Amino acid sequence: MGEVILTMKEIDKSFPGVHALDHVSFEVRKGEVHALMGENGAGKSTLMKVLTGIYKKDSGTITYEGKEVEFHNTREAQNAGIVIVHQELNMLGHLTVAQNIFIGREFKKGIAIDDKKMNEEAKKLFDRLHIDIDPTETMSSLTVGKQQMCEIAKAISHDAKVIIFDEPSAALTETEIEELFKIIRDLRKQQLGIVYISHRMDEIKVITDRVTVMRDGTYVGTLITEESTKDDIINMMVGRVIYEDPKQHSMVAKDAPVVLKVEHLNAGRMVQDVSFELRKGEILGFSGLMGAGRTETARAIFGADPKESGDIYINGRKVNINSPEDAVKCGIGYLSEDRKRYGIVVQKTVAENSTMATLEKYMKGLFIDKKAEKQVSQEYVDSLATKTPSVNQLVVNLSGGNQQKVVIAKWLVRNCDILIFDEPTRGIDVGAKNEIYKLMNKLAEDGKSIIMISSEMTEILRMSDRIVVMCEGKKTGEIAIEDASQEAIMNMATREIS
Amino acid sequence: MSKNSVPNMQNKSVISRLGGQKFIVLLVVIGLIIFFSAVSPDFRKYSTAMSILDYSYYITLMAIGVTFPLITGGVDLSIGTGLICYSLTGGFLIVQKGWPVWAGMLVAVLLGIAIGFLNGVLVSIMNLPPFLATLCTCMITRGLGSIFSKGFGISWPTTGAPGSWFRNIFKITVNGTKIPLGFLWVLLLVAVMAFVLNHTKIGRYTIAIGSNKEATILSGINVKFYHIMAYVISGFFAGLAAIAYSAVFSTVQPGTGAGFELEAIGGAIIGGVSASGGVGSVVGSLIGVFVICLLKTGLPYIGLQANWQQIITGLVLIGAVLIDIMKKKKEKG
Amino acid sequence: MKKKVLTTLLCVSLAATLLAGCGGGEDKSANADPAPATDDAAPATDDAEPATDDAASNDTAEATTGGDYKFEIIVKSYQSSYWQAAVTGVNQKAGELGVTVNCTGPNNESDIADQVNMLNNAINNAPDGIGLAACDQEACLDSLQTAMDNGIPVVCFDSGIPNAPEGSVLATIATDNYAAGATAAENLYPALKDKIASATAPVRIGEVNQEATSESITSRGLGFIEKIIELAKADGKTVAVIGNEYYVNNCSDKGDEASADIIIEVAVPAQTTVEMCATEASVILNKADTIGMFGSNQVAAEGILTANENLDVLGTDPATSILAAGFDAGSVIKGAITSGKMFGAVTQSPLAMGQTTVEVLTKIANGESVSDVPTQGYWYDSTNMDDESIAPNLYD
Repeated sequence: MGEVILTMKEIDKSFPGVHALDHVSFEVRKGEVHALMGENGAGKSTLMKVLTGIYKKDSGTITYEGKEVEFHNTREAQNAGIVIVHQELNMLGHLTVAQNIFIGREFKKGIAIDDKKMNEEAKKLFDRLHIDIDPTETMSSLTVGKQQMCEIAKAISHDAKVIIFDEPSAALTETEIEELFKIIRDLRKQQLGIVYISHRMDEIKVITDRVTVMRDGTYVGTLITEESTKDDIINMMVGRVIYEDPKQHSMVAKDAPVVLKVEHLNAGRMVQDVSFELRKGEILGFSGLMGAGRTETARAIFGADPKESGDIYINGRKVNINSPEDAVKCGIGYLSEDRKRYGIVVQKTVAENSTMATLEKYMKGLFIDKKAEKQVSQEYVDSLATKTPSVNQLVVNLSGGNQQKVVIAKWLVRNCDILIFDEPTRGIDVGAKNEIYKLMNKLAEDGKSIIMISSEMTEILRMSDRIVVMCEGKKTGEIAIEDASQEAIMNMATREIS
Repeated sequence: MSKNSVPNMQNKSVISRLGGQKFIVLLVVIGLIIFFSAVSPDFRKYSTAMSILDYSYYITLMAIGVTFPLITGGVDLSIGTGLICYSLTGGFLIVQKGWPVWAGMLVAVLLGIAIGFLNGVLVSIMNLPPFLATLCTCMITRGLGSIFSKGFGISWPTTGAPGSWFRNIFKITVNGTKIPLGFLWVLLLVAVMAFVLNHTKIGRYTIAIGSNKEATILSGINVKFYHIMAYVISGFFAGLAAIAYSAVFSTVQPGTGAGFELEAIGGAIIGGVSASGGVGSVVGSLIGVFVICLLKTGLPYIGLQANWQQIITGLVLIGAVLIDIMKKKKEKG
Repeated sequence: MKKKVLTTLLCVSLAATLLAGCGGGEDKSANADPAPATDDAAPATDDAEPATDDAASNDTAEATTGGDYKFEIIVKSYQSSYWQAAVTGVNQKAGELGVTVNCTGPNNESDIADQVNMLNNAINNAPDGIGLAACDQEACLDSLQTAMDNGIPVVCFDSGIPNAPEGSVLATIATDNYAAGATAAENLYPALKDKIASATAPVRIGEVNQEATSESITSRGLGFIEKIIELAKADGKTVAVIGNEYYVNNCSDKGDEASADIIIEVAVPAQTTVEMCATEASVILNKADTIGMFGSNQVAAEGILTANENLDVLGTDPATSILAAGFDAGSVIKGAITSGKMFGAVTQSPLAMGQTTVEVLTKIANGESVSDVPTQGYWYDSTNMDDESIAPNLYD
């Protein structure tokens, strides 16, 4: 670890009604990977936005390379050498890799853009990072992992001295994460300062040198990663120890009836001959790497994507599900991994979202019975402990965890007995995660059956009564919780990958 | 032609190396010419080729322009009625107010740019969906055309009349032979706009906006400006198309023009512009327009009745859109 | 959003009406003001094309004297020169007869609701009679009932209202399109007669109709066809009709293409644009045996002329060129007739139609009985274009 390159001191920032940053301090040294952690809403993003000029700080100082600075927009920060690799990839799919890297600062020959020079420069960059990507390749034809490499290359090309990674691994496969880490280590060697924002505790342990934890807009403390344990960090984040142990044995009664049976389901490349059973009151974990076909399987069962063949039985009766409408009629609810796109309508209220799938029950003639709607959604707000000032609150104003609860409420109002949770805690902070877990356990106890798709091993091991593992569109294993281990699951999940 | 369509030669098929959809569509154009020529001897005549070119200019010019908003992921529905509006206004000033012809032409083009700018502002600054914004200006231009021309149809100076020199821009008679000069201008403009699309910032950012507008904004690009520019280009070419239309058809009638834009947009989509933005080429749009023009001219020559002509044109369009969707599916995985 | 747009457009059209509205009143004579406009409305919708037989109306004009009457006249659109000419005719005759007229009309022929409003306002003004050129045959039925209940007589001009309440419409003054089409044939055929007589192989006469659905266009098309058949048969020639199914199936005798001396080929374009008419015309003009052409409205006639731009086959000498007959006027057609590209054309008489309307209204007010006045078209060519009886009807 080298000298300090960036210091943020006593940064204070308020929005109307919210004290987003309360005198937060943070520093980055050359040649270190510095993790920035905290629950959602802890102020990590706000701090980084203040740094890169998206927000203007109220008070405090930023010292960069020995000089006090204040950037007014990302462009200025970039020019100074501070860049962010965003969580959502900012790819222009129809342009080439080189065109993406140099977007907004193209080399020019007269009025024409000099693509040849851009390709050469991009190649040089990739060589420096030991990345093997053709700069003339169209961006959309690359894998997510490679696209992220390009993002990093783009960041470097700004002569970056400080790179901020905002949850870089969220969409990557295990191998891609490995490659990413290789590059980050490379950058560290080149004496860049790296800020690494992530929720994944294992990664923090592997890649970072120091960890700074924030909570509720305040600075909690900084630890040397090597000298601290997971629990230390989590304690700082939530102020309490979180129960993270795996489930010991199945909670499902031996004679519990099979509520859902899927036989030889086929739907494109991503779903090949998948069969499984789901029992009443069971939480069935679906594990596997990214792109294993778990979401596709769920969508095919739910009727959201067409299936080629296969039978589905609900409570022993064969059903024909060709659309989500059919699925809902069969009592299946699907909680998408992408809440904002598929799960909720953010510009509507909690009440409106809760009754969305059941509206016909809350109609008085041609009109929606607002009173009944409010009443039922209030019931679920109470029973799920959704934190919202009222059922009339717009969903957009709720936190991720509470949004998830609204989606759950939607399907419970509908009386769905089978719930498919696709990455139920993605983008939800640690505290809220726990609540979602509790809620899922309670739902299972109440006799609901749950399919839980999760990419987090700890989540799978903690929640599932039984685990189905998929790999490249095929079911590669099924394992009872009693026999499950991280190694056993990984083994099945990578079985066909050479 | 465009850099972004020919990366990594060794991985691509022969067809995509030759320009992908453009190449296929060019084959279709050649196929149509051969087919119509074989079936109808009259189709082979020089005068028929002249007619096809004459009647293609205004659609081609609109298609070159509308390619830009289409690539941003938008659309410009105002070019058809806009064309009539600009032509009526220019013609009114020339015929009724005695303005010189060049001034009337200039007004037509400037009006096109102004309406294009308005479209751009509505879409880029006011954030109206392009479909809605340009539908509004489509209606507005239809009304404006009537107001400017006082509701009268306008006939631009006919051949031989004073001021008819502007017709020679598109067709000139040398020693009794008619030369389709307009096609030369079209090719020239296609070349210029293909360069603009592929090798200048305006084009690059047009594609960028169509690929991912958010990301383009985050790249520190003045997206509002470039987004407006796409519509200004479209409006400018609608203005040029107005001149071409007036030169070929003389009489412009208020209240018409709706539907012209669909032929231009249809041509662009046949030529490989993606209906969802990000992909397209000016050369492709030119070739695509000729599929529509050839069908329009050729089908009557083989004695096909009116209704069938429309059905076939519609089917060709569906085919083009389906190809676009299939390509997208393939890309996805 | 949409509502806002519509509101804006309404304002725009209102403004347009104001701008153009008073034009008719100022035009003292229809031909004096060379408004260089082709009639958009009339050819496009094509039920809007009357031609008044003003010989008939002139006869009666002598006998009719106006009292202190007040009439409301409502045209289909106040903007096109076609209707301007009609309004001029109305004002002329009103001045002659000493009656008061008030002319109104919507901005556009498709503004049906506006026109119904205007009709209702006219009824509220309790005039001595209403002259109506209805945009829509059904939309004004209720208003006509009201007019009848209030004892206000209505005269329809330009186009009739077949379903009008019994007794509400006292007379209809509308073009006999069939006769107008026949007029074109009557004038074209004699010029081709020698060529037909001397021909050793079958000859072809082309007809371009903008569409095959509206009553006015189909009547003209069939009128032309039937007249040619009649005249040819009189000369001992046989005729076959080919091309568009509607016209082939609805003519009296479609003949046999293989043995006929004269083939009438009917073309209908896919779209009602000049361009598509031109393409269809090119197909026929390209054929070596074609000797004559007829375009049954302004768009079709201009289509034939546009096609000729590249073909150069039209002229006035049957020995060396194809003779083309058009319909309606406009500067393009007038220019082509003057320069010898087009043989001649049939025009309607909006001016005379306007005159006749006022006259019939005055007759009704005087208590005289009236009947429908069918009007016909006039043939014009380079020889009679400037005649006083013709020129006023040749709008630009």
